[in-house]
Amino acid sequence: MTPIDIEVIRNALTAAAAEMDVTIWRTSRSTIVRELLDYSTAVFDADGWNLAQSARIPQHLNSMSAALRSLLERFIRPEEWGPEDVVITNDPYCGGQHLPDILAFRPVFHEGVRIAYVGALCHHIDVGGMAAGSYAARATEIFQEGLRIPPLKLIEGGRRNEAVWSILRQNVRKPELLLGDLESQIASLEVGRAAIARLARRYGAAGMLEASARILAMSEAAMRAAIAAMPDGTYEFADMLDDDGVELGKPIHLHVRLTIHGDSATVDLSQCSPQVQGPTNATLASSNSAVMFAMMSAAGGGFPMNAGCYRPIRVIAPEGLVVNARPPAPVAHRVAVTHRLLNAMYGALHQAVPDRIPAAYYGCSYVATFQTIREDGQRDVLVEIEIGGSGAAPHKDGVNAYASGMHNNSNIPVEMIEAELPLSVTRYGLRPGSGGDGQYRGGLGLIREWRVEAPQCLFTANMDRFASAPYGLAGGMPAAPGRLTLLRDGQASPLPPKCDNVPLRRGDVVRLETSGGGGFGPPAARDPAARARDQRLGYV
Amino acid sequence: MAATDPAPDAAMRPVRIAVDIGGTFTDLMILDARHGRVQAWKTPTTPADPSEGLLTGVREAAARFGFALSDVGLLLHGTTIATNAVLERRLPRGVLLTTAGFEDVLEITRHVRRDLYALAPDPFPCLIERDRRLGVNERLRADGSVERPLVLGDLLDRLAALAPEAVAICLLHSYANPTHERALRDAIRARHPALPIALSSDISPEIREYERCSTTVLNALLMPVVRGYLARLSARLGEGGFAPRILLVQSNGGVCSLETAAEEPARLLLSGPAGGALAAARLAAELGRPDLVAVDMGGTSYDVSVVQGGAISLITQGEIDGLPVRLPMVEMRTIGAGGGSIARIQPGGRLTVGPESAGARPGPVCYGRGGVEPTVTDAHLATGRLDPAFFLGGSMRLDTAGTAAAMARLGAALGLPPEAAAEGVLRLTNTNLAAAVRLSLFEKGLHPRDFALLSFGGAGGLHATEVAEEIGIEEVIFPRDPATLSAYGILFGDLRLDLARSRLFRLEEASLPGIALLLAELRAEASERMAREGLPAELSVAADLRYRGQAFELLVPWGDVASPDRAALQELCARFHALHRARFSYAAEADPVELVTLRVTATGRLPRPATAPPPPAARPAVKGSRRIFAGGAWHQVLVWDREALGPQDLIEGPAIIEEPFATHSIARGWSARLGPAGAIIARREAAS
Repeated sequence: MTPIDIEVIRNALTAAAAEMDVTIWRTSRSTIVRELLDYSTAVFDADGWNLAQSARIPQHLNSMSAALRSLLERFIRPEEWGPEDVVITNDPYCGGQHLPDILAFRPVFHEGVRIAYVGALCHHIDVGGMAAGSYAARATEIFQEGLRIPPLKLIEGGRRNEAVWSILRQNVRKPELLLGDLESQIASLEVGRAAIARLARRYGAAGMLEASARILAMSEAAMRAAIAAMPDGTYEFADMLDDDGVELGKPIHLHVRLTIHGDSATVDLSQCSPQVQGPTNATLASSNSAVMFAMMSAAGGGFPMNAGCYRPIRVIAPEGLVVNARPPAPVAHRVAVTHRLLNAMYGALHQAVPDRIPAAYYGCSYVATFQTIREDGQRDVLVEIEIGGSGAAPHKDGVNAYASGMHNNSNIPVEMIEAELPLSVTRYGLRPGSGGDGQYRGGLGLIREWRVEAPQCLFTANMDRFASAPYGLAGGMPAAPGRLTLLRDGQASPLPPKCDNVPLRRGDVVRLETSGGGGFGPPAARDPAARARDQRLGYV
Repeated sequence: MAATDPAPDAAMRPVRIAVDIGGTFTDLMILDARHGRVQAWKTPTTPADPSEGLLTGVREAAARFGFALSDVGLLLHGTTIATNAVLERRLPRGVLLTTAGFEDVLEITRHVRRDLYALAPDPFPCLIERDRRLGVNERLRADGSVERPLVLGDLLDRLAALAPEAVAICLLHSYANPTHERALRDAIRARHPALPIALSSDISPEIREYERCSTTVLNALLMPVVRGYLARLSARLGEGGFAPRILLVQSNGGVCSLETAAEEPARLLLSGPAGGALAAARLAAELGRPDLVAVDMGGTSYDVSVVQGGAISLITQGEIDGLPVRLPMVEMRTIGAGGGSIARIQPGGRLTVGPESAGARPGPVCYGRGGVEPTVTDAHLATGRLDPAFFLGGSMRLDTAGTAAAMARLGAALGLPPEAAAEGVLRLTNTNLAAAVRLSLFEKGLHPRDFALLSFGGAGGLHATEVAEEIGIEEVIFPRDPATLSAYGILFGDLRLDLARSRLFRLEEASLPGIALLLAELRAEASERMAREGLPAELSVAADLRYRGQAFELLVPWGDVASPDRAALQELCARFHALHRARFSYAAEADPVELVTLRVTATGRLPRPATAPPPPAARPAVKGSRRIFAGGAWHQVLVWDREALGPQDLIEGPAIIEEPFATHSIARGWSARLGPAGAIIARREAAS
């Protein structure tokens, strides 16, 4: 095969992931998938290594391969996984991340030879457990976080495993949404399978396997070249999470020791805090995705991101740490760990490539869940994931309200929320002064307020960066930390950033203020014209 | 705006002209009903005031084709004036008035990032900065009821202090109740009678505040721009009896009056590709091929649109430069692949083609204008598909040696001979083009085998049969004058007006009275506005539907329903399930269905003069032969002269067909003949 054949196949595999992505986007039911775009699709080689992916959520992308590899090594033998079998799991301890994320995989065969897998991951609106949205902030065991689906064949030989469907239906708060989104995932797998099968008819099984190997090898070579261009050395950085929501006020340390040596890198996470009681824990699949994302973005791009990029990077993370939790630790808020781990990775990388790495972004998925209960007993769930400002770059201000780092969400239109749910949004805007000062200013965070229009509502939050602020770099100042406030009967009182099922009543207003990004460079060096503009626009 | 009334007898005059103003050339198509001939003319665009080049072109065409300026009854005008004003940010100073507490919605956008790995991203574009966005003390609910009445306070003073040149008003839930926006407008107008004001409840009364606001802001800022242009254009009318009725091409593939364009200029924003899509729809009828994929390949981009059942597909939202425009537009997928796309070796030894383009300057290496990186056009030259002596009909010499050297460098990096590297560039390009075509069909649940590929634009013909082969399309159509097809499409445009309104309804019998009321309002408004254009309105209805919980809707046609009853509702619901199944492989017939937006389209048909194709040129159809590199080997192939082709000629691939502004390649396994309307039709022979 010529390099041109390889590139033709690579492009076609990327197009297959894009077709799968379109399928989910257009067919899913829940707002979390449809408007927050919290899903990803990918194509893997015959051994489960990621070849091509749709550009959605970093948190997912570089973890799906690990999940599939874990399934193949520990749970489903490849020879027992037929072409018409769809395997699903959401179990963090079987390669997943947290319970709301259901992964679905299906192999692709050509003339009896397995040539690829296709996979789709959706964040589902609820999988049961002690809090609506399955985002219990104060769980201490995974059993409280929702239904745990071990790796199993949801569809076997083309036939639905009805028992599993009824267990799912019976254990979640919004079964029609979950099952609808699951149908979307299954439809996308079929779309991806058909696209790859078309390709195999032209290139044969052997051609597909050769192309897969070479696609990975080319990205590996490019990644090695990028690492080789970084100065050799050992770079350390630590950042922290506020707490785990259970032991309040006890920070969780994320410590990175990055060693660049020739064309490979070692990331030692051994000095991170031990795993915690609350749900602010991550499995190794989650932590790996943060490390890989940091290295891939710092590499400067220009080459296809796939599992070949992982090969030059070794991660050391002993079991029992917050970055590699043991069961039955709860993990619902694993994204807090990966956000902060990414912040720490960038802090270390800044020392290696200071002209490339930005100051800290807000580093948190502001998850706010409202379960409203109307007069007639009808229950509705709104899950919102808010964002903040991006960190200032070495030569540029940060961006206001920019979905950064490990997640990449859209907002939900205020008008849609008010048309569908007994909730009002009473304010949605930028938060002046929340970006870190510096030669280049951090982007601003947001303010969003919700008012309850139903007799009852249960509020759950899972947030961070309320104590430890996003850092500045090279003399830049940190950004403002976040704030959560309850406004009731004209009185303002703070709400804890990690809370479960706080009862609200009609007229209550919850106000969230999110962090901006850190500043870069000393504030004294800021261009007076840029300062004047900040004043004029009310950014400070 | 100056009066633009055409001469009262405009409709009786025999000549109709379509004008498509591009960046470099202004294309004209002239149809003279006295003999039915359609003739093309080109003149340089005058960027400072495009109306000047337009009039020059009309005068030149009149002299050449023998008609008087006073013979012109209709001027159909495609313009990128609005588009360019946005792309180049030549916009007036605007102010946005929006519900207090939501002033930053315009800047926050929907905030999904496009490049996941970028470390120093640019902000999303925002056309009105924070100090010119004013909060209005008022609040509506989703059902249109008033939670907090409108209180002006010192708002008008604050507005006046900002010295606005245009004002956009977008209040929350105004799609359900426009009264606050209208009251604001009236208050401002009382103080600033000439200030352009755009209301979101007029231009895009649809749910989702950011998209509606973005559309309204664009509309407001374009009002002075488009009004200024129309005034300059009108001022040029009258000379030599030139007083046609002027209609402007909109994004929706129809045309509109100057009055509409002046009030709703955002409707012109995405009209660039509309001409090509209109031509595709017209050709679909002339050729008896109701299902076509139209591909337009120029120097930098490849535009794909789908004609289904003889109709162009429309979507309800597009975007320009990252700014959403919530208005119906011709559905178009654009990728950065054209003749100027650059082939490069990336780190890791990977070959890529595009999206970077050499453009016209420096252009491909073979243009000899300083380009050093090989492009798709160079690959065509290196493989013999282009004749260095017959580029642009021989008016431009190509630098064969420069191209050969560039291809040799590319080949060396890939370990391939230069011609194999060049063919590789073409193969990779074809894969990317094919992926774009496939995705365009795929996202609608359509199958390539049911479609013919309509290939146009200067560069399209060299890729068409190979792209068709790649996706399983069996027939390729090469229309006449492929480089000016957009103007041809515009020539046969009709007036078209789209109205829409959002209101959330369960699709069930209890909602019938509410739906019927909304529909009656929309129909009345559509008929009344078309009557103002002096034409009877053909109305068609459509609804944006979804399953409860879905957040994006499907556009479902609802015929010309006027007073919906239970049966009509069931019919609509059945169509939705069927469409959902066709596109997304499942339907949830037991689930509740919601109507989000109701749409009415009014079409005012313009007369369709008969046309007559030109006779073939009296010279041999075969110009000669040359070597081309295809499938890894050189082949001697025939070169055909398109203008001399007659119905008896059978072109068997591999072969080349040349005409002054385009070259076409017929691949091995394909054969081609002259078909109806002067088009060449290529078919894949049955697999042997």
